[in-house]
Amino acid sequence: MVAAACLTLAAIKFLTWQARRQEWERLLFSLAGIATAFMAFAELSMLRAETPAQYATAMRWFHVTTWWIVILLIGFVQLRLRGGRPWLAWTAAVLRTLALLLNFLVGQNMTYLEITHLRHTPLLGESVAMPSGVPNPWMLVAQLSNLIFIVFLTDATLTMWRRGVRREPLVEAGSILLFALAGTLEGALVAWQLVDWPVMTSFFFMAIVASMSYEMSRNVLRTAQLSDDLLDSEERIALAAQAVGLGFWMWRIEDDQIWGSEGWLRLYGFDADADISYEAITQRIHPDDRQAVVRDWRSALEDRGDYAAEYRVVWPDGTQRWIAARGRMQRDTHGKSARVLGVAVDITGRKEAELELARQRDRLTNLSRVTMLGELSGALAHELNQPLTAILSNAQAAGRFLAHEQPDLDEVREIIADIVAEDKRAGEIIRRLRLLFKTGAVQRQPLDVNEVIEEVLTLAHSELVNQGISVQTELTPNLPMLNGDRVPLQQVLLNLVMNACDAMAGAEPADRQLTIFTDLAGHDVRISVADRGAGIAPENPERIFDAFYTSKAHGLGLGLAVCRTIITAHHGKLWATNNPEGGATFHFTLPGENEVVADEGEPRGTLRHASLDELALAQRGAR
Amino acid sequence: MAGNPSPHLPPVPTVFVVDDDPAVLKSLSRLLRSAHLVAATFTSPREFLDRHDPDAPGCLVLDVAMPGLNGLELQQAMATSGHERPIVFLTGHGDIPMSVQAMKRGAVDFLTKPVNDADLLQAVRVAVEKDRLQRQTHAEVADIQRCLAALTPREREVLEHVVAGQLNKQIAYDLGTVEKTIKVHRGQVMKKMRAQSVAELVRLAERVGIRGKR
Repeated sequence: MVAAACLTLAAIKFLTWQARRQEWERLLFSLAGIATAFMAFAELSMLRAETPAQYATAMRWFHVTTWWIVILLIGFVQLRLRGGRPWLAWTAAVLRTLALLLNFLVGQNMTYLEITHLRHTPLLGESVAMPSGVPNPWMLVAQLSNLIFIVFLTDATLTMWRRGVRREPLVEAGSILLFALAGTLEGALVAWQLVDWPVMTSFFFMAIVASMSYEMSRNVLRTAQLSDDLLDSEERIALAAQAVGLGFWMWRIEDDQIWGSEGWLRLYGFDADADISYEAITQRIHPDDRQAVVRDWRSALEDRGDYAAEYRVVWPDGTQRWIAARGRMQRDTHGKSARVLGVAVDITGRKEAELELARQRDRLTNLSRVTMLGELSGALAHELNQPLTAILSNAQAAGRFLAHEQPDLDEVREIIADIVAEDKRAGEIIRRLRLLFKTGAVQRQPLDVNEVIEEVLTLAHSELVNQGISVQTELTPNLPMLNGDRVPLQQVLLNLVMNACDAMAGAEPADRQLTIFTDLAGHDVRISVADRGAGIAPENPERIFDAFYTSKAHGLGLGLAVCRTIITAHHGKLWATNNPEGGATFHFTLPGENEVVADEGEPRGTLRHASLDELALAQRGAR
Repeated sequence: MAGNPSPHLPPVPTVFVVDDDPAVLKSLSRLLRSAHLVAATFTSPREFLDRHDPDAPGCLVLDVAMPGLNGLELQQAMATSGHERPIVFLTGHGDIPMSVQAMKRGAVDFLTKPVNDADLLQAVRVAVEKDRLQRQTHAEVADIQRCLAALTPREREVLEHVVAGQLNKQIAYDLGTVEKTIKVHRGQVMKKMRAQSVAELVRLAERVGIRGKR
């Protein structure tokens, strides 16, 4: 009966071990079950023995099964609980092996030097054999081994307890300890003939096997439950992914195996049964974006672990789609990159809307600039009028000098040189105006901000004079060069200068002062335009940057909104403060050239590394 | 600055030019010199007020739009200080309200830049002549005032009665004295005022604002 039970459990465990080869403790458990079955057979043979010699032989084999089980249990405890001290384990195992040798070398078996006769006593309605004879003194070796085994088990159990393990391993260790203690005690009492019982060690070991089996079976049940949950969860994720057009992919790096969900394959324009490699994916990425995307993947593989990118893919038929992708690199147990898991979603609609918005913004910027120049046209005409006045008067003076009886030719030569200079001055003004009216593509180039300011003040000179405004500049020399588009930046400055003029229109002549400062703020260049007008309503100073907000009678209210857009596009900031002595100051910062160069390599695909938090959020969202 | 070399010859008139644009200033001064005029240049109204000699004869060529004080404000400042001189305004854009205001305040002309040489020189000549006349009038009035200051209070009273066209007898009666005394006073008045006839005396008195008393 015991044997049958043990064999059944052993078979189950063997089968589960077959399924999960890494879990060696299952194999050990299975072997222990078989050993217990053999032990039960040996005990049965002992109980049924007819002669002392038969009994002694059966007992000798009984000790073999004991050795087998103890060794397996030591192995099981070490593998599953990882708690006992190895030297205790080794000592117990070695002593038990020594006892096994002595079992065969000294006397009839480990327990008896010689069994002299058998008695037969009734037990549970059956007649069973009970031996009497000369005890084998070497039996102490076996019992010492048992003792150390028990110490080892106690040590392992306590270690588990201290580690805070309360559940299964502890139950297993505890039951092994308990039944091993009881089995050893019973064996010792019987062997030293202190009690008149038959040997029933196999019952204790069966109890051990049963309790271990119970715990391990619970694991199996839980695993089954988990796998059900997993299936449910997978189904839900797949449904959600389908709903938002999300595609999943996984890339096993060691053999370049790529798996992609149906949705993901569609995003890249692959057929459902296509053979996909890393190379094939990169070929689908738009050539302008490819370098940046690959670079980002590499860096995710090497150190950062996560990536997020927006880029274009081109299908074989030429269709172009925008994709937003996020991914995470997973490491194997050695810390090497093992595989990449990623999600991707089609954002073509959003991206096209963004690009259209950018185009609208550019148009608005141009429109606002042309409108502003229209307002300035009178002053600009005057600016052009000055060199023309000088040229005319010089030329007519020269004519008159030449009509003198003794013309002063040196004077005439000087006049001609001045005419040339004034003509060039007029040409320069026209050139700058033409630049400002041009609605061309963005042209980033290194700029000296102080130079830009001087140019703008030249253009605004007449306007400032007409309004009776005096200008002071406090420009810090040798500022870092800016990487920017000259025309929009001039537009911003011109706009701020003209706003300052308007703000001071009603001020006392002595208060009509405009000051422009430049300085360095960290790595940024800061430009400040200060007026002495009425200042900004303090309740909501940011409101002035809203589109269509205006305090002027004739204004669209777009100037400052456009200025902010331009500065933001230059990676800068624009804000306003009120001066303690009255009036307002508008500041803007622009990063020095070295600071902006970094994003030069990303022409359109905006790529950046997502933080872990962002990824976690995305994942939560996907569920 | 104004050249005023010889005490015997009448002082040469100077054209004072004020413009904030150095190139324009230089070209205008050249044009004036080519027409044998003396030019003095200033880059701001403030500099002009600080440096120019109010007693030097000549006119002002003034740009309207300038930082700090503009042309019209300078005109005002000169009127307030009593050192008026004829002004030829130059402007970048023909601003009608501004030109009306300037002309009302006695500007000689209001010319648009770029300015034609003939127009400018003509306006300058008119302005210089106007200045000359103004200075002459000022000098004559000052002369009469000096003579008037030399009269005794009694002689002054007699003068006012003479200008009113009264006869010696009437004056004597009014002042409570005899005709002979009045006759002596009258002779003194005619002498001190350097008048040859009663008609001339009346004209001189009118120029300094003395009206006859009855």
